[in-house]
Amino acid sequence: MDGLDETIHQPVRLRLMAALTALPPSAEGLEFARLKSLTGATDGNLGAHIDHLARVGYVEVAKAFVGKRPRTTVKASRAGRAAFARHVAFLKSIIAQS
Amino acid sequence: MTMDAEQAGAILAEVDSIVARVRQSRLYRFTGALLVLWGAIVVAADLIGFVWPRWSVWTWVGANVLGAAASFAMLRAGPDVPRRVPWRFLAAFALFFAFGLLWSVGFGRFGPRELDAFWPTLFLFGYALAGLWFGAAFAALGLGLSALVLAGYLWSGAWFTLWLAAVNGGGFILCGLWMRRA
Repeated sequence: MDGLDETIHQPVRLRLMAALTALPPSAEGLEFARLKSLTGATDGNLGAHIDHLARVGYVEVAKAFVGKRPRTTVKASRAGRAAFARHVAFLKSIIAQS
Repeated sequence: MTMDAEQAGAILAEVDSIVARVRQSRLYRFTGALLVLWGAIVVAADLIGFVWPRWSVWTWVGANVLGAAASFAMLRAGPDVPRRVPWRFLAAFALFFAFGLLWSVGFGRFGPRELDAFWPTLFLFGYALAGLWFGAAFAALGLGLSALVLAGYLWSGAWFTLWLAAVNGGGFILCGLWMRRA
């Protein structure tokens, strides 16, 4: 069993990964505004955590314009899904051992 | 970093909570699109029925066929929904429809006005029931619009068909747009 994933363990990033991996892999991802309401983070804080997850390859970020408004969509990568599944399995193993 | 079972349980509970919120949001988003579709169909069918009452029955047959085909296509083709056939949803829809036919054109003695009130309230009752499992928005939609349909049945007089276009069709569209943003 792998240990704790420090990248995912941070509370905002944990919520981000939980939300993104709740979608099927075929889904297009979640928009920034939706992630903001799900995580309760501020714009700057959320952006920094998304950048962190993107740097380690756990999420893919797509930026586009809808009309004149920018739209940022975030999606869990295959590596991110695997890492989150391992992290959840690790948490469950702690409970199972108690 | 060390962690005990209580902390791990709390984190998993938070994960479950977020997953449930995302799934409900996706359900609302998709159902919202269906509501907008059916709202537009209801508005069109009611307006045709108001202008050409003789064509009302065939208009509704065509509207239901069109709406069912479009709904099925959306269920199958949407990029954000499971690709498997939603048999339970289709079975529930068919059972409601069969129940409606049994009483509205079978055993019941419904006039045109009663039929106009019966069909929307039958399916809105389904929405109210769905609210017990899928979220309060469904229950609010079902009960709120049912009350407005019944108010029109009792008090709108000769304008009942137009009332239905506005309240039932328009209500579906507004609720659908709201659910897509929720």
